[in-house]
Amino acid sequence: MIELRNVTLKYGEKLILDKVSMTVRDNTIKAVLGPSGVGKSTIIKLMLGLIKPNSGQVLVDSVDITHLKETDLYPIRRKMGIVFQGNALFDSMTISQNMSFFLRENMQLPDDEIERRVAEQIRFAGLEGYEDQLPENLSGGMKKRVAIGRALIFNPKTILFDEPTAGLDPVSSRKILHIITSLKKSNNLGAVFVTHIIDDVFAIADEVAVLYQGKIIFDGPADKLHESDHPFICSILSDKILEI
Amino acid sequence: MPLMLSGDIVERNILRLKEFFLTMQDFFLFALRAFATLPKAKRYWRDVLDQALICGVESIPIVLVSSISIGALMSMEVGNLLEEFGAKTMLGRSTSNAVLRELGPLLMGLMLSARYGSRNGAELGAMQISEQIDALRAFGTDPIAKLVMPRLLAALMMFVPLVALSDFAGLETAALVAQHYHKIDPGIFWNSIYPRLVPKDFVVTFLKAPVFAILITLVSCFNGFSARGGTSGVGESTIKGIVVSSGLVLVANFYVSKIVLDIMH
Repeated sequence: MIELRNVTLKYGEKLILDKVSMTVRDNTIKAVLGPSGVGKSTIIKLMLGLIKPNSGQVLVDSVDITHLKETDLYPIRRKMGIVFQGNALFDSMTISQNMSFFLRENMQLPDDEIERRVAEQIRFAGLEGYEDQLPENLSGGMKKRVAIGRALIFNPKTILFDEPTAGLDPVSSRKILHIITSLKKSNNLGAVFVTHIIDDVFAIADEVAVLYQGKIIFDGPADKLHESDHPFICSILSDKILEI
Repeated sequence: MPLMLSGDIVERNILRLKEFFLTMQDFFLFALRAFATLPKAKRYWRDVLDQALICGVESIPIVLVSSISIGALMSMEVGNLLEEFGAKTMLGRSTSNAVLRELGPLLMGLMLSARYGSRNGAELGAMQISEQIDALRAFGTDPIAKLVMPRLLAALMMFVPLVALSDFAGLETAALVAQHYHKIDPGIFWNSIYPRLVPKDFVVTFLKAPVFAILITLVSCFNGFSARGGTSGVGESTIKGIVVSSGLVLVANFYVSKIVLDIMH
């Protein structure tokens, strides 16, 4: 379980998050919905301890990671996988090297076990035959699937997705959303995904938190979002897509 | 109104000063972390070798071009000057002092600041804005150990032989120009150098190599890690890295010479 308790974050004088609290339960798909630049990706980075809040707490499985040292954060971070918005694949490495890199870096595994895990993820991502390709030779959707495969390599409990369908064509978007739901069904994996596309929320999310002007204005089951009378939520429900 | 304006200026300058000290603090912490990860060199030996190839072997042409030009130029100009005083036989000694102690290492430092520093700044800056550095941290790899330490260690290893090469090429070219342009016998040229070489000549020249290695690598990597705001941010951080490290190389060149020559007087 991941918890944010009264988290406040400022960049310089600019207030990004104002006493934000939210909970991500295991085996739940939680969406964080909000307009661009509101601090959605920041929430994911806070959950991983990549950035520290000015005040408040971040808890992962009841462990307060807010003030943990970088080296103490590594085992906590392995409970989560992350898929960055731009995928953050290493462009000088092949697809299989991208997937095996962190296994070789952080785990004392024999080569055949690493190869087995990588082959498993390549199969899962539907990228057989592309193992030796560089990321630049793949389409946006394929890169996203490589990033998802890489995020699964440590067998995490939860995967964090930063705008998983942004910039993808409708077919690729559907494939990615399908992967997220199938991971929950087949692997019991929870997911947090930040998005500005409300259709994605209704397509796969169990719960949704709406972030607006640094505050959470709605946090609850996705199907209850229609019941909110907050003007911003009403406007996004009518427009379906938030201003980019 | 003028009072308000001056108040604004003061406030802005205070902010800038605060920002400067915060950046310096970040830089020193970054440098400390880079040195603290040196014991992990064994784990990243492949990266160290890759970087040694980039900053060492691949830099040989540019180091040779700069040292050969400056050796030839020094020999020609100083020879002309000495001729006026009938002291052409001192050409070897005068040139060797300038090339060995100052120009050899300085030019090598500036060339590597441009070549190696820009590469570090651009590569790490691109990794920063494409979130690859965040990915390293997110998956449990220390980006400083993986990306900065190998560059630092490679520079520390390779800058010393590059300085030696720069000095050697500079002096050899100076000798050739002395022989063919000033018609000075090579024996006379080299005899005015060898007997007068003293340990401080070598201490000055070879002490500059690690100092430049540390300055160029850490400044360029720090700026790469600090890149923000897309491709223009990468450009800005790369330029900043080159400008600052080149400036520091010039300043350090003076102070290393001064300190060593004062101590070993």
